[in-house]
Amino acid sequence: MLDPSLIRPEIALDDFLPIFVSSALAMVFGGFYVGIYTAVKVEMLKRWAMPFAYLFWMLTSYCLYIMGSLMHVGEFTAKALIVAMIGYLLLPHAVYYMQHQVHEENED
Amino acid sequence: MASKLNESQQLATWYFTFAAILFGAQLLFGLVAAIQYVMPGFLFEIIDFSIARIIHINALVVWMVFAMFGSVYWLLPDETGIETVGIKLGKLLYWVFVAAIVVVVLVYLLVQVGPADETTIWFITEGREYIEAPRWADIGIVVVALGFVANLFLTGIKGNRSGIVTVLMADMIAFAGLYLAGMFFTDNISVDQYWWWWVIHLWVEATWEVFVGAIAAYGLIKMVGAHRQVVEMWLWIEVAMLFGSGILGMGHHYFWIGTPEYWWEIGALFSALEPLPLVAMFVHVLYDWGKTQGGQDAKGESVSVINNKPAFTWFVFNAFGNFLGAGVWGFFHTLPQVNLYTHGTQFTSAHGHLAFFGAYATILIGMMYIAVQGKNGIKVMKNTTSSILAVSLIVGGVVGMTVALTIAGYVQVLVSRAQMGATWAGYFDGQAGMWFAQGMDWRLIMGVVTFIGFLFLAKDLLSIGKAAHHER
Repeated sequence: MLDPSLIRPEIALDDFLPIFVSSALAMVFGGFYVGIYTAVKVEMLKRWAMPFAYLFWMLTSYCLYIMGSLMHVGEFTAKALIVAMIGYLLLPHAVYYMQHQVHEENED
Repeated sequence: MASKLNESQQLATWYFTFAAILFGAQLLFGLVAAIQYVMPGFLFEIIDFSIARIIHINALVVWMVFAMFGSVYWLLPDETGIETVGIKLGKLLYWVFVAAIVVVVLVYLLVQVGPADETTIWFITEGREYIEAPRWADIGIVVVALGFVANLFLTGIKGNRSGIVTVLMADMIAFAGLYLAGMFFTDNISVDQYWWWWVIHLWVEATWEVFVGAIAAYGLIKMVGAHRQVVEMWLWIEVAMLFGSGILGMGHHYFWIGTPEYWWEIGALFSALEPLPLVAMFVHVLYDWGKTQGGQDAKGESVSVINNKPAFTWFVFNAFGNFLGAGVWGFFHTLPQVNLYTHGTQFTSAHGHLAFFGAYATILIGMMYIAVQGKNGIKVMKNTTSSILAVSLIVGGVVGMTVALTIAGYVQVLVSRAQMGATWAGYFDGQAGMWFAQGMDWRLIMGVVTFIGFLFLAKDLLSIGKAAHHER
């Protein structure tokens, strides 16, 4: 007979699959966000595609929210995830800005 | 027509050759271990699972180190504009390194186990996962690594010190120094593991990733003619992000080994940030390729800017593979709340397979193709049927193994951990399930596919330089 105290109740059995899927999708959508953003900036995609980049960022955030909720992450980790998402929103802008400046300097 | 290589690049081809041989050994012993999951009596008391696993993983680590050293010896004359300083020492150390590895592998195979005292530690195996080499070989590895670092530093100081060389100088001294953390034992297993992770994690998720960033930068300049200033600025951003997130990301290994609880918070925060540089590296390739090709197209010349198709294919797979293997499969189970369940299951193995392949094997194979191009004096190197078969079968095989191991790991999470509370009975019940068993079957099948792909790769590396369809 299994001692009930051994069973870990923190995550419900049915929640494991949504956790793994949402964490995978958070990364995949995040990849689409920066990928589309960069592709538009280097003119590999038309400008009208840019809103889709931000849509993917929103999907990334939502997936991370689902993942965090189902995992019952603590207050600190929840804050860390929010900071990570804000950082992730800003990151391509900052990096692209620096890239662009370097390109301009070297092409002038 | 073969081109005359300088001594450093000649040495690089030696390193690449031995790396490819060890890559084959890694896959072969991986197959033995995979068969033993399906048929536990296979090679019983001849090559037990523990030995096959040691050789599988150690060969992986060592072939990558060989290929890394080879990559550095290849790019040094290009970057610094001079022959590598101390190249004679470099050649001597190469043979010392090869001889040491051959002896270590023969001892693993022929002696296998010792009396579990100092003799075993010094002459057979230290028994620490992934870095099982006996202590005499440990010391030898440190000597070889220091000689390599000396070559790199002396050349960097004397020649033109580009951004790529500067990053490599800093990175390689950390790479060599961190190995020391895995060379001593303590009586306390938690303390011992604490230091052991300095080698494993800080190598793989800090110094090796930075190395990949530097190699990707060199490859983009070499293969698509990307702008050096732009590429090197990217590199510095990546270095900052990789070290910024990767060093304390080590916390995710400290969740369950008896270290203080504050590592939960540190590990969670920095692990959440760890995928960011991987995404940046993915964008790096896209950005530089797009910019350079766009510049070419703007001139009205619809010619590809890529001068080495097989190498560039592997570099692109590196960008994707690093993101998928280290990023997605790592992020799956990096937060402590879920890692409690996934830790030590086949999830870890799935992540390990795709991450090592995606982040490192791909780009190092790409460097081997760059060396083949340089050695044969080819201006534009094109794919052969074997190049395409090799990349398709190896990538398909590794992705297949990863999916199979992920399914097996999922069963273990549900059965062994969540339902059975990580008990002894739960461990066996998890492995007895149909999904787990089928996952192991598919892992073996996909392992065979990977090995066939390797045979095509070996054939291609040996013969592609002679093909007539390249531009010379």
